[in-house]
Amino acid sequence: MKHIFFLMMLGFSCLLSAQTNAPVAPPATAPVAKESTKTKPPTEIDSDSADFDLNAHQAVYRNHVVVTDPKVRLTCEWMLVTLPQGGEHLSHVLAATNVVVDFTNAQGEKYHVTAAQAVYDYKVVNTVTNETVTFTGNPVVDTTNSTIYSEPMVWDRGRNHFVFTEPKMISKDTGTNGPAQKLF
Amino acid sequence: MKWNAATVCLAIGAATFLFTGMKDHAQSLPVGHATDFTSNQYFEPPNERLVKMRLSGAEAMPLPGGLLDIRHLQVETFALDGKTQVIVSAPQCNYSPFDGVANSAGHMELQSGDGKIDVRGEGFLWRQTSSSLTISNHVRTLINMPGVTMAGL
Repeated sequence: MKHIFFLMMLGFSCLLSAQTNAPVAPPATAPVAKESTKTKPPTEIDSDSADFDLNAHQAVYRNHVVVTDPKVRLTCEWMLVTLPQGGEHLSHVLAATNVVVDFTNAQGEKYHVTAAQAVYDYKVVNTVTNETVTFTGNPVVDTTNSTIYSEPMVWDRGRNHFVFTEPKMISKDTGTNGPAQKLF
Repeated sequence: MKWNAATVCLAIGAATFLFTGMKDHAQSLPVGHATDFTSNQYFEPPNERLVKMRLSGAEAMPLPGGLLDIRHLQVETFALDGKTQVIVSAPQCNYSPFDGVANSAGHMELQSGDGKIDVRGEGFLWRQTSSSLTISNHVRTLINMPGVTMAGL
């Protein structure tokens, strides 16, 4: 058991040491490859139905919502999008009910995130860009090497890493099927 | 079919009367047939001279209950600076001038004024007074913006 715990700690510390950005005050972080912002194919949103409020510039997508992006695929049952205007950046998206996000980073590592809710926010304050996705409702990220539980789980896209709160991780390298181990 | 200027003017005039005068003259609904019509809705004062919404169509035929069967509907909404915000189009829809509601079981498309957002679907309900649109089936939205990486979601 001590051996398993040691391996898990070792694996998680490797994630921490790979981080290239100065941590703010997160309990634990894991790096994610930063994406380029060059021109890309359009993002596609499919759903069974949708409501558009053209005064509020909001769209609500319902049932079998699928967001397809060259690098990311999201599915959920309900999604609120604040529609960008005049070339503005997409600023706020709320996805709810059976949220599943799959993406592959620049190193080819696959991430599979599940949660009850995900909130994407993009803000520029004093020339500093804050771009985050906050997962709540039993969020779990499944990577090639590990499965991490954290409530909430924040994907800080500006700093290019995940921020975990009291995470629990199961390393797949150990081959254990036992219960999740609390790391902190 | 070609239309001369007089015919088009008459049609537009009839359609304008059809769409702008109905609320105040509900008892005197025209029963005619209009083609190539346009109807403007204006902003509230002090911007009452600026067009807020423009509804146009290739053909309008009266239906029972004061409804209109409109072919090649196009609805454009504008900002106060005159820029086009949204263009909604549909090959066919039923329009109620009394409450400003249009609906159809058929195809519809919505495009943002800058062309960067494109929405398509089957079956819709457009509420003119609240500028709201419900698409009931097979909704597909394309967001095309350089630099926007929806990888955040």
